[in-house]
Amino acid sequence: MITIELNGQQQPLPTGSTVSDLLSTIGSDGKSVAVLVNQQIIRPENRPTLMLQEGDQVELLIFAGGG
Amino acid sequence: MDLLQLGSHSFSSRLILGTGKFSNAAVMLQAVRASGAQLVTVALRRFNREQAEDDLFGPLSTIEGVTLMPNTSGASTAAEAVRAAHISRELSGSAFIKVEIHPNPQHLMPDPIETFEAARILAKEGFLVMPYITADPVLAKRLEEVGCAAVMPLGSAIGSGQGLANAAMIELIIRESSIPVIVDAGLRSPSEAAHAMEMGCGAVLVNSAVAVAGNPPEMAEAFAEAVAAGRKAFRAGLMQKSGSAIATSPLTAFLGATL
Repeated sequence: MITIELNGQQQPLPTGSTVSDLLSTIGSDGKSVAVLVNQQIIRPENRPTLMLQEGDQVELLIFAGGG
Repeated sequence: MDLLQLGSHSFSSRLILGTGKFSNAAVMLQAVRASGAQLVTVALRRFNREQAEDDLFGPLSTIEGVTLMPNTSGASTAAEAVRAAHISRELSGSAFIKVEIHPNPQHLMPDPIETFEAARILAKEGFLVMPYITADPVLAKRLEEVGCAAVMPLGSAIGSGQGLANAAMIELIIRESSIPVIVDAGLRSPSEAAHAMEMGCGAVLVNSAVAVAGNPPEMAEAFAEAVAAGRKAFRAGLMQKSGSAIATSPLTAFLGATL
């Protein structure tokens, strides 16, 4: 297992998990979610292959109401 | 046809609607539909699996003819705003970005220096930059010169409902500007939106006035009608003001002469 930081909170994941695996774990289809790993934007086409590492900082962002 | 031109995009609606502060997403969507708005603002926030219904991208993208204009709310520097813009573009696929940098939560006044810097960078990168600014004609002109698609001076403080407190300065901005001037923030009533349009604004952006109204969809419709009426009046050409009365009926004293 590895532990990443997901939106500021510790999240354990099986070793070898990709960004897409993480999205499935939390029940997101990833369509309307922006993903940043260590502050880099990860485009949808790269999510199935990008493997997460111990200590990675992952931010998942969505559009919410705003003026 | 009278269209709002923003960069290479044109819109028949001149009402831009914000999506914050609604009691729930269903009411917000009804209000967006009722408003006829074709540009709708959204904000970035962290995904929360307990509040999945907060995700507005899916529901908003089902409304035909709506383009999302993400804002950079939460940014307190130009660098943060640029970063928010990049992330937003990934999500929305839209080049529109409302640059909104207000470091002080007490008054939410935009930081002109950071806003200018962010706008300059983002316009160069090809974004359609819509900066939220204080009603400052000099700043507005500088933003136009660096390639902003519009300028968005505030009518009064965000969410205050104090209306067009800066009307005189906004008129100055309109007079000097070659890009659309959009009043953003502070409006409370449709009549204020009509007034802004009569002055020559290209559009108005409303959020709180609709979101916290007793009946948000009805208020959205009222704003749409007011914006359309104000625009029509502007195009029709308002009469000149006069310091004294000018009679509308003939004043020849024939009655005194014949009776």
